[in-house]
Amino acid sequence: MTLLRFRASPEQDVDLARTYDAVVVGSGAAGGMAAHVLTSQGMKVLLLEAGKKIPIEQELRSMQWPYDHPRRGDAPPGYHAIRFNEYNVRKPPYAKGSAFKHVFSYVGGWGGSDYVKNILVDEKDHPYTGTKYAWVRARLLGGKTNIWGRLALRLSDYDFKGKTHDGYGEDWPIAYADLEPYYDKVDLYLGISGHKENLPHLPDSLFQRPNKLTAPEVKLRKSLATMGRTLTPYRAGVTTDGVKNKYRSKCFGRGACGRRPGGCDIHAAFDSPTGLIYPAMDTGNLTLRTNSIGHEVLVDPNTGKARGVSFVDALNHRTYEAKAKVVIVAASTLESARLLLLSKSRQHPNGIGNSSGHVGHNFCEHVMGPGVTGLVKEMVGAPPTLDDGKPGGFYVARFRNLQDKQPGFIRGYGFEGGSGFSIFPDNAWGTPGFGGQFKKSVREHAGAFISMGGFGEVLARYENYMDLDPEVKDSWGIPVLRFHYEFSDNEKKMCEDMANAGKEMFEAAGIEVVGVDKNILTEGWSIHELGTARMGNDPKTSVLNQFQQSHDVKNLFVVDGSSHVSASCQNPTWTIMALAWRSCEHLADEFKRGNL
Amino acid sequence: MKISRRTMIQATAAAMSLPALAEAPIPGPSPKPLFFTPAEFALVDEMSDMIIPTDQQSAGARAAGVATFIDARLAESFEKDQPERWRAGIKAVEALAREMHGKTFMASTPEQRLALLTRIAAAESDPKSDAEKFFGVIKSGTIRAYYTSKIGIHDDQQYKGNVIQPGEYAGFDAT
Repeated sequence: MTLLRFRASPEQDVDLARTYDAVVVGSGAAGGMAAHVLTSQGMKVLLLEAGKKIPIEQELRSMQWPYDHPRRGDAPPGYHAIRFNEYNVRKPPYAKGSAFKHVFSYVGGWGGSDYVKNILVDEKDHPYTGTKYAWVRARLLGGKTNIWGRLALRLSDYDFKGKTHDGYGEDWPIAYADLEPYYDKVDLYLGISGHKENLPHLPDSLFQRPNKLTAPEVKLRKSLATMGRTLTPYRAGVTTDGVKNKYRSKCFGRGACGRRPGGCDIHAAFDSPTGLIYPAMDTGNLTLRTNSIGHEVLVDPNTGKARGVSFVDALNHRTYEAKAKVVIVAASTLESARLLLLSKSRQHPNGIGNSSGHVGHNFCEHVMGPGVTGLVKEMVGAPPTLDDGKPGGFYVARFRNLQDKQPGFIRGYGFEGGSGFSIFPDNAWGTPGFGGQFKKSVREHAGAFISMGGFGEVLARYENYMDLDPEVKDSWGIPVLRFHYEFSDNEKKMCEDMANAGKEMFEAAGIEVVGVDKNILTEGWSIHELGTARMGNDPKTSVLNQFQQSHDVKNLFVVDGSSHVSASCQNPTWTIMALAWRSCEHLADEFKRGNL
Repeated sequence: MKISRRTMIQATAAAMSLPALAEAPIPGPSPKPLFFTPAEFALVDEMSDMIIPTDQQSAGARAAGVATFIDARLAESFEKDQPERWRAGIKAVEALAREMHGKTFMASTPEQRLALLTRIAAAESDPKSDAEKFFGVIKSGTIRAYYTSKIGIHDDQQYKGNVIQPGEYAGFDAT
């Protein structure tokens, strides 16, 4: 696009005449980490965030009682969250033709949409097309880290060397030993809660004080141990003992994280602004510009190298240019792919960094939906206890296709679960009848349920991809992503096994199974999108090298989940940050040597 | 993000019988309803209190202001089919009351009201008539409003959370 020079509004008074050492696109887990590492190495960094900076504490209001909110947490009239059925009976763009004033992803309908109405994107402004997909996006400083689920797990060589283990896909260009020191750094800098288990497939972190379990969870843990399986307290990206960071408090077990779509207004749960960006600004090396929608990585016509980023101001819709010696893309897996594909030039006709043709391909994520609910008989009628005052419930580590070989599918899944009393007795919905008996039954059973749901690895396949829609544009005139993606037979077989295995495990523990859910939730539901610009040693079949550096353009890095070679079944945020830390350390070294 | 992603589906499905939200006044006695006619309000107020009545543990739906909350939400509903659904459901209940007892629901005796509610609740798992469907609508509306009220959370459920725990979390160690 053409460069037009406009003066930014006063709050956006960022010097765009200078050439920064690096420009980072995106301020979530990856972009925040890039800003932290590079500024601590003395580099002058400009951070562009497409969304706004909002007083997040006023949005989250973590301890507000339902009855103190005029709509008991719901958003004002005219706000609508897309429902499960809508995702499946319709095709995107889901907000097209909607009579509602604002349309949000399904997360906006979960436990209090008023608390996320300024965090999630309005689907009306941010359409996408193609196959069905529940795409959850948060455009604001810190991105989805403002509301993430906090489960902070490490991957292992079962993941990094998956091809070696079972022959499918590609190995990552790194091993666990390469990343372990950076996982340690992330643990220590940001804080993580957990309990050591010494599992080779789910390596321990450097844990702070762990979550506690409920009595039914202890019972299930003991039973699973006899089966060689592990239930561990939720490994939460939450500082429970505190970290040296003036913007963050330690966790006080208020429990808001369980009854809302995440979000912690004392910032004990990691979020990118308080965990990474504000401390980076305190170095004096970081310049932040919000409302800045990157839409093209600019290329030097002589060298073919990246020379900066063109962006649209979200408020005034004008186009600006940020100049930098190094460009770091960290806009989230799908947005990063979109940005690379949008960056077409004479040298890079298929989009920058895309000589392999793999940008947008090899998409992977987690499949979820199947799960099990059980009734713990001895808890019926037990007096209420404080069960939800902690960052999470429990996690059951992967147990499939480690030593064994399943007939129906490769790779594995873990379960996330919880039990006990919470602020709202969900069992009321399913309790039949009315009157005194109904009321008593709800009360007596409210704390007696335990449930868990699987998160399984979706295989990275070249045929699962996103490209640019040739016609549809977003509210800023930027072409949108078009999805070509669906679950394969491996995911479907795995999901059948999830439901069956969950049922077996509850029954073995003496928990009465009252519900088995076999339905698979819409693609995208896990909010763990990965791939689209994978790392690898071969420039013909991968986009980035092991330092998330473009094979084609040496001063271009893509440091978010798009670089992942496979999805693993373990949640990605901690790995995204460990990788970004490792790559940005390498980047800073190369920069100082003049190699970029 | 986690197990709640699953449970929210159930919760959303249930909450669908409630309108999309409105600026509600603080729940309490509502002499002049915002959406319902006084007669409709009285029916909703009574029926909600029959669904969740006062017992030894806690006060019921009437004291918790359930009808007032529902009324305020319906008054500002963006989706017009929601208020219409409530109004049509109430009409169906009144028609059934006349059929069964020859008078309005509120003019019926407590025993007659109970007989009517028992009849429409019997088909809860597979409602056919409009009156039977209305039972699901008012029951889920009552659940949502009651268990988010002060009485529901504190008196009935005796919820222990949403407090600051300065030391260890409550619960058991993973040993």
